[in-house]
Amino acid sequence: MADKSWHLDRRTFLMGTGVSLGLPWLECMANASPRPSRAEQSPRRICALYFGFGVALPPANHEHAHWRWFPQGEGSEYQFTETLKPLESQRNKMTILGGLSHPNGRRMGAHDTADTFLTGAYLNNKNLINTISLDQYAAARIGDQTRFSSLVMSTDGGVGEPTRSSTLSYNDKGRPLPALHQPQQIFDRFFGEGDADTIAQRRRLKSAASMLDRVLEDSHSLRNRLGNQDREKLDEYLTAVRQIEQGVERSQSWLEIPRPELHDEDRKMLQLDSDDQAPLQFIRTMYDLIYLAFRTDSTRVATYQITNMADCSSKAAKFPQLQGFKDSLHTLAHDWDKPGGSERLGQWDRFMAEQFAYFLNRLDSATEQQGTLLDQSLVLYGSSNSVTHDNNNYPLILAGGSQMGFKHGRFLKFSDKIPMSNLFVTMLNQAGIESPNFADSTGELNELLR
Amino acid sequence: MIFHRPLRWFAVVLSLVCAVQCPSRSLGQSDIDFNLDVLPILQSHCIRCHGPEVQEANVRLDNLPINLNENRAATESWHEVLNVLQTNEMPPPDEKQLSSEQLSTATNWLALAIQSALAERRQTDGRIVLRRLNRVEYQNTMEDLLGLEMDYARDLPPDGMSAEGFRNNGRSLQISSLQLEYYLATARRALDRAIVQHEQPPAIDHTFTDISIDNWLGEAQRSKRLGRRQEFLVKMVDKYPEEGDFSVRVQLTADLKSNTGYPLLEVSVGYQIDTEILMREFDTVEVTSPELQTFDFRGRIENFPLPVRGQGKFPGLVVRVRNLYDDKSPLPPPQKDESGRITYAAEDHLPTLTIQTVEFHGHHYDQWPPASHRRILFDAPKVDRESIPYVTQVLQRFMTRAYRRTVSDAQVDKFVAFYQEIRPEFPSFEEAIRETLAMILIQPEFLFLLEPAGEEKRLIDEFELASRLSYFLWSTLPDERLMELATNTNLRTNLNAEVDRMLDDPRSQRLVKQFTEQWLKLNLVENVAVNKTRYPGFDDRLKSDMCTETQSMFAELLKHNSSATELLSSDFTMLNETLAKHYGIDGVLGKSFRRVAIPADSHRGSLLSHASILLSNSTGSDSHPVRRAVWIRDRLLNDPPAPPPPNVPSLEQANPEFHQLPVRKQLEIHRTVESCNQCHRSLDPWGIALENFDALGRWRTELPKNSGESAQTQPIDATVELPDGKQIAGAAGLRTYLLQERKEQFARSLVMRLLTYALGRSLELTDQAAVDEVLEQFSKDELRLKGLIHKVVSSEPFQTK
Repeated sequence: MADKSWHLDRRTFLMGTGVSLGLPWLECMANASPRPSRAEQSPRRICALYFGFGVALPPANHEHAHWRWFPQGEGSEYQFTETLKPLESQRNKMTILGGLSHPNGRRMGAHDTADTFLTGAYLNNKNLINTISLDQYAAARIGDQTRFSSLVMSTDGGVGEPTRSSTLSYNDKGRPLPALHQPQQIFDRFFGEGDADTIAQRRRLKSAASMLDRVLEDSHSLRNRLGNQDREKLDEYLTAVRQIEQGVERSQSWLEIPRPELHDEDRKMLQLDSDDQAPLQFIRTMYDLIYLAFRTDSTRVATYQITNMADCSSKAAKFPQLQGFKDSLHTLAHDWDKPGGSERLGQWDRFMAEQFAYFLNRLDSATEQQGTLLDQSLVLYGSSNSVTHDNNNYPLILAGGSQMGFKHGRFLKFSDKIPMSNLFVTMLNQAGIESPNFADSTGELNELLR
Repeated sequence: MIFHRPLRWFAVVLSLVCAVQCPSRSLGQSDIDFNLDVLPILQSHCIRCHGPEVQEANVRLDNLPINLNENRAATESWHEVLNVLQTNEMPPPDEKQLSSEQLSTATNWLALAIQSALAERRQTDGRIVLRRLNRVEYQNTMEDLLGLEMDYARDLPPDGMSAEGFRNNGRSLQISSLQLEYYLATARRALDRAIVQHEQPPAIDHTFTDISIDNWLGEAQRSKRLGRRQEFLVKMVDKYPEEGDFSVRVQLTADLKSNTGYPLLEVSVGYQIDTEILMREFDTVEVTSPELQTFDFRGRIENFPLPVRGQGKFPGLVVRVRNLYDDKSPLPPPQKDESGRITYAAEDHLPTLTIQTVEFHGHHYDQWPPASHRRILFDAPKVDRESIPYVTQVLQRFMTRAYRRTVSDAQVDKFVAFYQEIRPEFPSFEEAIRETLAMILIQPEFLFLLEPAGEEKRLIDEFELASRLSYFLWSTLPDERLMELATNTNLRTNLNAEVDRMLDDPRSQRLVKQFTEQWLKLNLVENVAVNKTRYPGFDDRLKSDMCTETQSMFAELLKHNSSATELLSSDFTMLNETLAKHYGIDGVLGKSFRRVAIPADSHRGSLLSHASILLSNSTGSDSHPVRRAVWIRDRLLNDPPAPPPPNVPSLEQANPEFHQLPVRKQLEIHRTVESCNQCHRSLDPWGIALENFDALGRWRTELPKNSGESAQTQPIDATVELPDGKQIAGAAGLRTYLLQERKEQFARSLVMRLLTYALGRSLELTDQAAVDEVLEQFSKDELRLKGLIHKVVSSEPFQTK
């Protein structure tokens, strides 16, 4: 079966079955060999981070106004409140965005919008089909240039349930991509010594390729014996088979390229046994993994859902309590307007900002050809509630990308006429992924650029 | 005009009473015209809040299609409309109400239209969707298939959950390339262990009669006599295995005490790195007799934490033996002996264990090659193992078990061809076989419960039935007997006997565990962090005991074929010593759960008083009446409230007095706001009735002080008026009320939830008849649980595809 040009055969075959193909696979056929990035300009990356239930927003005349998430003032003259102060050192490499939200999200259930943070889709009881997320849109276009097309992480792992998802990422069919949540597993996957024995590895990759080919061939007759609903499910399986085949092919071509070497200090710092019982350590470890994946150019696309809106069914629900706060995440968020509530939630918001600052500082500590790793990465951080239950005016920060045309150091307020997808269009274009539009976008956010 | 297709129905208008009680009964002839008769009613009573301007609860009626036969989503929506009209939920009480004639017209039209749509669709809908094994099923299936203990689900992402809270729903169980990749990696990892290709490794045996360790973390005293502050530790510095089966054998005597539980033997294996101890424990054992006796623990060493040779300050593999029995009395203070070692005064009131010897046997195999190997590469003297007939037979046997049905020669031949293709690439026969078997384990026939069927509904075949039964009752693949019966087409004729056999088998505990966990959302206890300031001394290990109470209760009722009403109200519960102490019930000693008659003043005897449920629906600091209310309505009554609407206005502008009020009063004020009241009037009372249970499910008569200096403790008032106007007094009142007034609704809810779990799909309108039928028999049978399982298994949806 060695060098037979089975790609084309299968493609012809698949077209015949009427199964639609995902774009990544087609692209992969066009670019069977990886394109190591070293010779090119520094890679550009996109990363999205999410937390649930929004933030504290006491009004300006409130006794706890200093716990308002959004800064005071506007433009470049703004002043941090207590909440975002930990980000002071990155002030000139980030922009705080006010007023944005997904117009579709405003019509959705109060706790339902975590699913659509990166997609902008409309979900309700009758329609739970999402659309492609920003990161996967990018991954479909630049993912073939790295060993992994994207890194998808969350605290809970998997996909969760519709409207209470535990992933930020959706493919071109609107299906959720399972998030990884075990640091050790993520590390092994990205940096492990899985290919110590390349001969054995190659043998297995070859046999897998051969078998996956057969599975697809056999699926034709199986498919014919199934009813419509079962066919949909089988197609989901076949799509996975095709993607893993693409992965096999990718792995084969990457086999000769050694896994990235990690510095000793990186290894020492990583706390791979951390889990949801120790939030501070866990969140930082997850951030460290994105940092390492970017620095080694193992992927250029990453998402991490830190907390979500699944309330008590999420492992992150108890994060504040494990950090010494009195209440669960949902209670903190719910009670933000009770006496002392905005201070309590504000302190949690600040805790989250501290971890985010840790991540930005890490990215900023690694120098690249042009500026730092942070200057070549776009990092979106935020929630899809302003205060809990309110699907307007998302608290958002866009950091990084100073070498990608962004002008930072400001707090910009936008009208609610501007859909958040406009931000996505700008992010994509500046990352070198030409995109005239995304979801319900109506233009770009050129204010962000130099 | 949105209602573009007027429908005419020829039926007699039935009385309102009948429309309410039996909406799905077939009606005679009627002459209700939608446009002439129904539309004006909707326009005058419904459209203002559910029309083009406003869509309360996201419901819009003016453009909801009425061609129900073609529009399934619309059918579901109209069914909702029918429900709220019939239960008087809509229009809201402060709005103009329908006259009884209008109500009758509207509900009759709806009932008929829905029924006709159902009849039309019955041929195609209500089908089980092709579903993959979930993590639990995959774990059990792989373990049973390979006869090898391993953490198979380690790398698999958590499964999606359906709206009803189940993790075996075909639609919610997606498959992604990530999963498929790990299925393959897991299969390869497992087969590397299951099939061996070297000679039996020499045994590594150690016998210890005393402690063999000098540097170890912790406050425990090292001793051969084990109370609750002692431990027995032995170490193997470099002579220990890194793979394969091993055993630990502990020989000991016990000193038992009256008025306490039995000593609890725990054996763990692991090591120390720097300031941390990594150990994995075997399941604990109660030592119930004082004599010299031996306990054998067996495992696979790869499943335990193993030190890296040549690294770390504390090299060597450690076996630790402890006695975990603890009566929760104050611990004795540590003392130092003359050589500076920690000691504790003897605690004479507690039972102890005295260790005689601890043996460790590495590479401990009863036979070689091990059973997992022989099961696949079966003994065939005089047959060339590399010959194609042998390989064919190996594959055929394996595929039959993995696919859970007989396989055709053509199916087997494909894998034989694959084996032949890869054999030259692989250095050994065993490696090529492993690789071939691994590929079988990523086929849809293995990963999915595959039931090929066209558009016509059909009776499932015997193998499919065997799988449905075993995944429903055991969460794993069919055993040999089921496969044998199916092969001889004898399963269906022996269905009842087989269900009984399966329920008597210990594997049916998996049904108990999986079903109760998902139905009652027990695992939520893990996501609640108990506030240790408010509840000092709370031990998180109690959480698993809490869940065990609920699960053992269900198991006990199932075992004795008792009535499900005992879940609502019973004169006993299932307790062990720790949980009984938590509840303040005396006289229960030891670790194991057993039936305990409920003392008169203990307030127990219902799911509503299970700490598992009360804690998982609390904040960890205090009770959470709304969450508890949602749980009752959703889980017990299958009547979940609508989710919170978008953009809820913030309610209380910092009013210091408001927050000093008891939750009950706060909720009362909350309900004076109409937009909140809409949902909360039918919600809050259910939870307020349980206010006598604190976050941990312990009984209380006073509310704790709120923060704030002036705050006073307040007596609890748990008397409420339920949405139907019934006054009830607290938990006991709620219990009686559920039993007397909501028994039917609870029974229906349980039937629906169990059927949903059994089928692995959501129920639809088309399942109404089956639900009604099972419910009718279930009710006649006084809600007996074993009977219910039989009824579900023989129901039409379970038997057809």
